Amino acid sequence: MKIGLLILALFAFALPASAGLSSIEDRAEAVEAQTEGNNSYHAHLARKFAFIAVDEKGQHDLAAAKEFINMAEEHAAQAGGSK
Amino acid sequence: MIKRLILITSTLSLAACAGHSMDTERSELAEARDAIAASKAAGAERCAPKLQAEAVAAFYWAAHEYTEHDIHPDENAELTERAVAKAKAAKAAAGKNCAPPPKPKPKPVEIIKLDGINFPHDSAELTPASIAILDNAVATLKRRAKINVEVAAHTDSSGKDSYNQALSERRAASVMNYLASKGIAANRLTSKGYGETQPITSNETSDGRAQNRRVELRVMN
Repeated sequence: MKIGLLILALFAFALPASAGLSSIEDRAEAVEAQTEGNNSYHAHLARKFAFIAVDEKGQHDLAAAKEFINMAEEHAAQAGGSK
Repeated sequence: MIKRLILITSTLSLAACAGHSMDTERSELAEARDAIAASKAAGAERCAPKLQAEAVAAFYWAAHEYTEHDIHPDENAELTERAVAKAKAAKAAAGKNCAPPPKPKPKPVEIIKLDGINFPHDSAELTPASIAILDNAVATLKRRAKINVEVAAHTDSSGKDSYNQALSERRAASVMNYLASKGIAANRLTSKGYGETQPITSNETSDGRAQNRRVELRVMN
């Protein structure tokens, strides 16, 4: 019983990490596409954060990767799209 | 044994999920924080956006790396230094690029038409008929002593643009000089030729072209 609960808990906490509909790389590519040709501060920052997110994922720090890709998407939205 | 293994795995997994992966308030980041605030205040987001973004990105990356409890001290220091250097460069670039935009030119508040002013072909000399009209303008300017005016001369679209532009400038200057010679203070007067750029009607007919060839006084205050 205990083992079952522990395994359930383990999966429950693991789920959010894999529940994202897109991978970090996919989201980073979307940020790139969304800000292509846009040279505003927010567009530059969005691309930088997306790069860091992919790098962090490469270092197996998924929490950091998700935080940076979220920031990238916020700034991409503020950048007002591609130019 | 299996139970212990599962317990350890669970604990590690939860620990990995817990907590924020960034600490922007750390004392080690104070210099970078200040440098970025200074570059932002200097207008770097608008005038040096790439450098400012690089500074901010390096700052947040360092803020994350520091939460890893000095696992990579060299990397942490390098990121912090990069944030400071980029912010300083952004501030310097903003200082060069962020010149205040030029003041908008004052728009005329009133236009005094000087109907009937004509010039000989390819000339800026005033005809006797034009001088009579200008004398009326002199009287107006003396009566309204507080207004400053721009003498604006226009041509029709016949001929080359550059020729018309130069001709309109000479004619505007000629009228301005006449007004000054009649006692209107020079600091109340400016002249500008607009060439064929501001027609008031079509240049397709001779009547239209005659209307477009004109001189007017633009009251600027």
